[in-house]
Amino acid sequence: VASTIAFILLLCLNISFLNGQSPPGKPEILKCRSPDKETFTCWWKPGTDGGLPTNYSLTYVREGDENTYECPDYKTSGPNSCFFSKKYTSIWKIYIITVNATNQMGTTASEPLYVDVTYIVEPEPPRNLSLEVKWPKDRKPYLLIRWSPPNITDLRSGWFTMEYEIRLKSEETDEWEIHFAGQQTQFKIFSLYPGQKYFVQTRCKPDHGYWSRWGQESAIDIPNDFTMKDTTVWIFVAVLSAVICLIMVWAVALKGYSMMTCIFPPVPGPKIKGFDTHLLEKGKSEELLSALGCQDFPPTSDCEDLLVEFLEVDDNEDEQLMPSHSKEYPGQGVKPTHLDPDSDSGHGSYDSHSLLSEKCEEPQAYPPTFHIPEIIEKPENPEENITPIQDPQSNIPYFHADVSKSSTWPLLPGQHMPRSPYHSIADVCKLAGAPVDAVASFLDKAGKNALKSSKAFETGKEEKVAKQEMESLHSKTKEETSWPLLQEKASFIYAKPLDYVEIHKVNKDGVLSLLPKQKENCDQVEKPRASETSKEYAKVSGVTDNNILVLVPESQVQNMALFEESAKKAPSPLEQNQSEKDLASFAGTSSNCRLQLGRLDYLDPTCFMHSFH
Amino acid sequence: MISVMNSQGSAQKAGTLLLLVVSNLLFCQNVHPLPICPSGDCKMSLQDMFDRLVMLSHYIHSLSSEIFIEFDQRYAQGRGFIAKAINGCHTSSLPTPEDKEQAQQIPPEVLLKLVISLLHAWNDPLYQLVTEVGGIHEAPDGMVSRAKEIEAQIKQLLEGIQKIIGQVHPGANENEIYSVWAQLPSLQAADEESRLFAFYNLLHCLRRDSHKVDNYLKILKCRIVYQNNC
Repeated sequence: VASTIAFILLLCLNISFLNGQSPPGKPEILKCRSPDKETFTCWWKPGTDGGLPTNYSLTYVREGDENTYECPDYKTSGPNSCFFSKKYTSIWKIYIITVNATNQMGTTASEPLYVDVTYIVEPEPPRNLSLEVKWPKDRKPYLLIRWSPPNITDLRSGWFTMEYEIRLKSEETDEWEIHFAGQQTQFKIFSLYPGQKYFVQTRCKPDHGYWSRWGQESAIDIPNDFTMKDTTVWIFVAVLSAVICLIMVWAVALKGYSMMTCIFPPVPGPKIKGFDTHLLEKGKSEELLSALGCQDFPPTSDCEDLLVEFLEVDDNEDEQLMPSHSKEYPGQGVKPTHLDPDSDSGHGSYDSHSLLSEKCEEPQAYPPTFHIPEIIEKPENPEENITPIQDPQSNIPYFHADVSKSSTWPLLPGQHMPRSPYHSIADVCKLAGAPVDAVASFLDKAGKNALKSSKAFETGKEEKVAKQEMESLHSKTKEETSWPLLQEKASFIYAKPLDYVEIHKVNKDGVLSLLPKQKENCDQVEKPRASETSKEYAKVSGVTDNNILVLVPESQVQNMALFEESAKKAPSPLEQNQSEKDLASFAGTSSNCRLQLGRLDYLDPTCFMHSFH
Repeated sequence: MISVMNSQGSAQKAGTLLLLVVSNLLFCQNVHPLPICPSGDCKMSLQDMFDRLVMLSHYIHSLSSEIFIEFDQRYAQGRGFIAKAINGCHTSSLPTPEDKEQAQQIPPEVLLKLVISLLHAWNDPLYQLVTEVGGIHEAPDGMVSRAKEIEAQIKQLLEGIQKIIGQVHPGANENEIYSVWAQLPSLQAADEESRLFAFYNLLHCLRRDSHKVDNYLKILKCRIVYQNNC
């Protein structure tokens, strides 16, 4: 029986297949779209119909509602579509949509589609696209594109928000130029090629949704009236300016320097009248300085002239007679053995020899800074009582010509140095009244003592000697004073006339007090003036570099007129009144011994040292 | 003499006092943080405020969409999550308008209140989303950062809306509707399928609600600022 039934069924199926009828194939829902977020449409694709007329129906279930509803409108959107009007549309809800195909043989349902209207919004393209070429004043022309949103969307209430996009291309090109326009319904194109035809299209999209399709194409011809003349003018101007620049460069290259000097004249440098810098470079200082009106600076004579010997008369342990180191003084025996010409001994000694050599090499301005106040302030031996000189700068440095050179004597060990120059002069003064031979003897003693240890120059001993001499001096006329002539360097006294010292008094101790002669007209010739009986004048003939003052009684000047050299600075040579013989010898030797340094005469003490002896 | 001096002194004192008072008044005037809005005067500032709110809500929805689409493509294909997500949002209890007509019929302040409720309803779920996303196998990097960004932007949005409510409808701070989110256990479920669906559901609802907020604010802007003439 079962096999019979199966056979009958198969027979029936074969019969129906022979007829070509079958239930419809499964339809497929293509898509659902909403153009305005208020309605939506779904489209499906039918399957095979099975050879029989097939009906399609759409059913849906909405979120929050359990009922199944059928499509309200199959017509509006065309065949195989279902249109949901506002009434049936809710957003923010999921629709489960199913399409059923039914024919005589059966019904076939499609796969359900879960759709939320919120996310299926696709608008219509914009409408009313208009193109226009605008020509504003003083600006380049541009293309103005305008359009309208699609009809059905509600933008005014804010329910729908739209964004736009345009694209254009010229007739020749194939590629579209796309511009995003935002939410505005117009757009300006500035980069246009005149004489061409342009095509423009627009499309739109909701704030969250799909782009519409491109709207209808519009075309426009751009007039060929863009001022080509402007370009030509600018090209012409550019070429002309380039030519002018080239001409200028060429002219500058040719003229070159003269033009530069014409435009930028050279700045004159500083110049001193009469001053030739080239002379300075060459080192011809005397020419240079003569131009400046500088006399005798620096001393231009041979250096060797400066290496004069002199003796320092010392009255206490602080001082001692130190012969200078000159080359004419090879071995008088007074030369201190310990002296080191080139190095600085512990006493801060200063080597006159080295100093002289320095001076000869460098014709520099001598710093005429005489530290006489310094000397003045030094505690003095009360016996000396030599009043300080008021204006050290202007006068011939009586006592301390070369303090600036740290003129300290190279002393024998144990000697106290700083006071030496001063004291030396003081000692010289002390000897003012001493007879020549006494002086000579004193000097001799001093010289001998210098060789001995420093103890030989104890204060007491010297003073004793000095006192003796002073007394003897006192007994004689002052005018008979013989002075050891001490050479000094004229270097300090350049351009300075000789000054006069007035012997203020000689006290009982035989100390000579000297005063600067105040109103002395230094330019006067050392004409011997009639000396007043009340006063004695001594003329400073010079100061050596070892700060020994050469004093000459003025009344003796007449006798020594033969030694005078010039009106201004007549050196006062040594006068020896008492011993004419010596004087004569001196005169004889003085000519040999006289050294000339500028306008000053110098007598080498060596000469009359010999004569004294 | 003394009386003259006294009168001079008192005059000086009065002058100083007056100066102090006037300067205080001037200073106090500048201390005002927000301009009080007589009708019509504040339109400009309201427009700026709404523009900013709309910008924020638009941004929040964009982020939410991106998260959801990424998650959907990665984890939810072929699993039928969407069918299970129907009626799954915790904010469905809120009486929010479901179409344009309903939205236009609701008074603005009510709509603003609804927006605030919606945003408040997402504080907790967002926090949990950021916390629990580590449980997802190979979770995409963008999800966490976007979720955090959404959190921050929602905060700003709430502040802005509160300001607008203060201007549009001052004194209306009552009857806020709360909605409770109780799906944390699902996020922490042991079963990966359940966990993934929980995330899917959460992201789906976030996307929807952020769209609602965005739409409502745009409607309100056109209605309040432009008088329905956007």
